Amino acid sequence: MTTVPFSLTRVGLIAAVTLREAVRQKLVAGLALIACGFVLGVRALRDFNFGTPELKFIADFGDGVIAGFGAVLTIVLLAQLFFGELESRTALTLLAKPVWRSEFLLGKFCGVVAVVVVFCVLLTATLSVVLWQRESALRVEGFAAVPAGVGFDPGALWVAAWMHIVRLTVLAAGMMLVACIAQTQLYAIIVGFSGFVGCHLQHVAQGVYSRAGSSAMAWIATLIGWMFPDFHLFTLEAGGAWTFEGVARLTVYGAGYAALALGLAVWVFRHREI
Amino acid sequence: MTGGTKPAVELRALTKDFVVGLKDLRLRAVDQLSLRVECGEVFGLLGPNGSGKSTTIKLVLGLLRPSAGESEIFGVSSSRVEARAQVGYLPESPNFQRFLSGRELVAFYGRICGLAGARLKSRVEQVLGWAGLTEAADRRVGTYSKGMLQRVGLAQALVHDPQLVILDEPTAGVDPLGAAAMADLIRQLKAQGKTVVITSHLLAQVEDVCDRVAILDRGRLLLCAEVASLGNRAVASSPESLDENDRAELARWLSARGKSPGAVVAAQSRLDRIFIDEVRKNRSDSGSGPA
Repeated sequence: MTTVPFSLTRVGLIAAVTLREAVRQKLVAGLALIACGFVLGVRALRDFNFGTPELKFIADFGDGVIAGFGAVLTIVLLAQLFFGELESRTALTLLAKPVWRSEFLLGKFCGVVAVVVVFCVLLTATLSVVLWQRESALRVEGFAAVPAGVGFDPGALWVAAWMHIVRLTVLAAGMMLVACIAQTQLYAIIVGFSGFVGCHLQHVAQGVYSRAGSSAMAWIATLIGWMFPDFHLFTLEAGGAWTFEGVARLTVYGAGYAALALGLAVWVFRHREI
Repeated sequence: MTGGTKPAVELRALTKDFVVGLKDLRLRAVDQLSLRVECGEVFGLLGPNGSGKSTTIKLVLGLLRPSAGESEIFGVSSSRVEARAQVGYLPESPNFQRFLSGRELVAFYGRICGLAGARLKSRVEQVLGWAGLTEAADRRVGTYSKGMLQRVGLAQALVHDPQLVILDEPTAGVDPLGAAAMADLIRQLKAQGKTVVITSHLLAQVEDVCDRVAILDRGRLLLCAEVASLGNRAVASSPESLDENDRAELARWLSARGKSPGAVVAAQSRLDRIFIDEVRKNRSDSGSGPA
């Protein structure tokens, strides 16, 4: 019997086809265009800055756009591509070849992550241009809003972009697990969004439970902390004064959760009937 | 892989139940099915709609897990990826990535099966030629007609030169010319020593190309026999099978009654007749009325 080992080549082939399919979807183009439009048009919204300096407002707003639209893109795109493949039965032809189900899932996952990376890089580049242009204009006008050393920091912006990529990769892995369990696309999307919100708010839940004083509550808080990644950590690192150590720690943290979710997804998908 | 005395496909008491509804109700799609498909033969898996043909194929390909029993391809359990290394599969009403061209699609599946370089290129051109898609190879699959989709599906099934080719309803929705071309291609595959498994309910087409057939109904095997041996069981003969004198007499008899010679149409193929008889018998035995 000829053995068929796990192949990264097949994963790459499936990812490349997934990426080609994804970039043809109206959803991707639509979300990327709207997000770009928000970033480019942020100056029109500066009256809503609640007193923060203009450059910080632009950076925070752009960061929020990347986070929000990135999450929508990740959840909906992954659900569409996964269920589209099952419903159109293209998965049937592919899985009838000597392809491991783990290769299929990882290929789909990598294709979606590639789209997420392109999305984050594109929007961060757009945001960089907007910030650089506005900072230059403010300096020319001699505004006190840009004191020396407080202006636009490209390094921090790209660290924030990396944090978005790590967070959305964890989200994509979690979404893959949900899609493998779910029977319908709508259910997967709803659970995916709920999970995303839950992961963002879990530090609140942990705080409440740990303050409750009871050991049972503390145990629940610990359990929640282990089960769900804390997306708030990524926001803190991106928004504050970042360090290489902090970024590396969060990258490993995110990679661990992504690997765990993908491992579970592969296990579930191996038992799923196509 | 294909050597020795291992059959191309072997099913032993294969059973598949689907859970339907919330009360753990089970629908038996395949019931204690045991079959052997020998290497080099063209085997027809026949049955009415819902008889379990496609489920059986999915079980053979490891896409579904059996509730009981075993399935092997060239002696390797269907649950293993290795079992599919020598299998080409054309699904029923195939659907592919619409944004790829026919050539890109076949090349993609070729790469997935481990082909590369000059070998990949030559196999892609060869199978596109066999499928009659050379001219349309650079068109996007999304622009293909149903018949062309069937042909590009066949090309992707054959690109890695598999020893076992499984065709699920290969002529469904295909015009008579396409169906005849498919039959020719199956004969070519047989001539190359490939094993071919076809599922169909278009029996006349299958009868022409198959060495052996199995008839399924409600997941149960009703009959498995060589097509040649089924002649003994024929229950009707067509006017064409009569000799010249008998045909002339039949024509005179019809003419005397004001009927045209075409009033007597060819009887159903012998396989059609056997198929209908077996299915009716099975259903009356199980007390569910006529087919």
